[in-house]
Amino acid sequence: MTSLDLIRELQASRPSAAEGLRSRVREIAAPAPALTRPRLARISFPRLSLVLVPAMAVLLTVSTAGVIGLAGSGGKGRAPTQQEAGRLHQNGTGKKQATPATGFGAASTQAASPSPLDLTGGGTTRSPIAPTPGRAQDVDATLTVKVADSNHVSSAAQDALDITRALGGHVESASVTTGDQAQAQLTVRIPVDKTEDAVTKLSALGAIVSQQVSIQDLQEHLDALVRRARSVRAQIVKITARLESQDLSAEQRAILELRRRNLRSELRSLRHAIRATHSTASLATVELSVVTPASLGVVPTTSRLDRSLDKALEILVWEGIVALVVLLVAAPLAALAVVVWLLRRSYRKHDDERLLATS
Amino acid sequence: MHAVSIGALPRKEALVPTFASVAESCLDDVFGYLLYLTKDRSLAEDLTGETFEAALRRWRRFDPRRGTARAWLLSIARSTALDWFRADGRRRRREARAGVAELRSPTDGELGEGFSPALEAALRSLTAAEREVLALRVVLEVEGEETARLLGITPTAVSTRLHRALAKLEERMRDHDVA
Repeated sequence: MTSLDLIRELQASRPSAAEGLRSRVREIAAPAPALTRPRLARISFPRLSLVLVPAMAVLLTVSTAGVIGLAGSGGKGRAPTQQEAGRLHQNGTGKKQATPATGFGAASTQAASPSPLDLTGGGTTRSPIAPTPGRAQDVDATLTVKVADSNHVSSAAQDALDITRALGGHVESASVTTGDQAQAQLTVRIPVDKTEDAVTKLSALGAIVSQQVSIQDLQEHLDALVRRARSVRAQIVKITARLESQDLSAEQRAILELRRRNLRSELRSLRHAIRATHSTASLATVELSVVTPASLGVVPTTSRLDRSLDKALEILVWEGIVALVVLLVAAPLAALAVVVWLLRRSYRKHDDERLLATS
Repeated sequence: MHAVSIGALPRKEALVPTFASVAESCLDDVFGYLLYLTKDRSLAEDLTGETFEAALRRWRRFDPRRGTARAWLLSIARSTALDWFRADGRRRRREARAGVAELRSPTDGELGEGFSPALEAALRSLTAAEREVLALRVVLEVEGEETARLLGITPTAVSTRLHRALAKLEERMRDHDVA
């Protein structure tokens, strides 16, 4: 019998179920529902969980971050840090007016100088201490004002220059930086009797960040110079009168002439020093800085939504770190589980083959 | 102007077979497969019943787009039969440990109606794996790819196994003729 004959004979005698079995199977099949359920219902639970579990995990992670972000974003915004507060030198109100900050004055380096300057004041604009009229004083003022943004820096600097010229002063140096960190640095010389006026007007260019005025008295020094110059002149007059007399030896004459030369040289130096002191005392030096919040490094107040998002992002980052750690720890175990499952499946298949081969 | 009636489109549900119709149409195939596998008609009938009970429980998950209902039922039948073989093997080992003599009941029934005694004997001498591939490829005429998926082997392995089974059958028939 060939293979073809065998195949024909096998196919011709297909087994068929007995009537008893047929009835039994009909009974089993009778209550079967129609296959009309949605596709999702026919998906096995393990397969469904493979999709649902990660989706639920992601949803839970994001919603947790969002809730914590929203809960942690309450308040009126971030208060400036101590460093920023120190940098701002504000008096706590932050009002945009020419409020003198808690500045401090430098004591004079000379012995008999006026007391240190206290510029703490009330909420209204207050002039700094004015130089004493009739006395020679070295007046220096340092102002920092804050404008709204970089666009106002240039205009404020120009206004400062206009104020300086209007008061009869001149600009010694000026530097204006544009861009995000815009700021201006100006050094101007103002007639000393206009110092008070200049500080008041320059302070009004923006919100005062800091203000400092120092006065160093030069009068005594000047008086000493003048007295010394007077004395030297008197000595020169005396020596000149002596030299005009006839009864001097050549040696005496030479000594007197040398002495007169030295005195004249000293007088020149004294006059130069007096002029310089007068010049210093006649003009006050005002250093003005115009800054913006960005250049000061002040963090603008953020909205609640921004704070919530920042906080939520921070939480998400931490959740990501935790998930990574869990993954690193769980990955070898998962790999081991997969290997065990594959081995078990392979063994099962081999066992089935063995069973069928020996039955 | 009169309204034009449009015939209703066939419902999707009408295209999907019911379990009862599938059971009715595939019963002989499942029974025949299990008979070839077990060589025992009464055991094959029991396993057929268990197969359809298991299939009923899983019916909701059956997707016609992934394969035919017949292939699906045959895979359940194979699992049912293998479970029985394992349980039977454990029972024999327990009995062997207990020193109880193995009471092997004679196999019941013919494998095919109208088989010659030689063919019947030759078939019974094959292993279950050889009878299985004969049942699927020859008797039930299941496609090679589908058979390979069912058995968990490659189509090439299916062809090889079939060829060997037929060759062995042929040899046993020849030996019988000679005898």
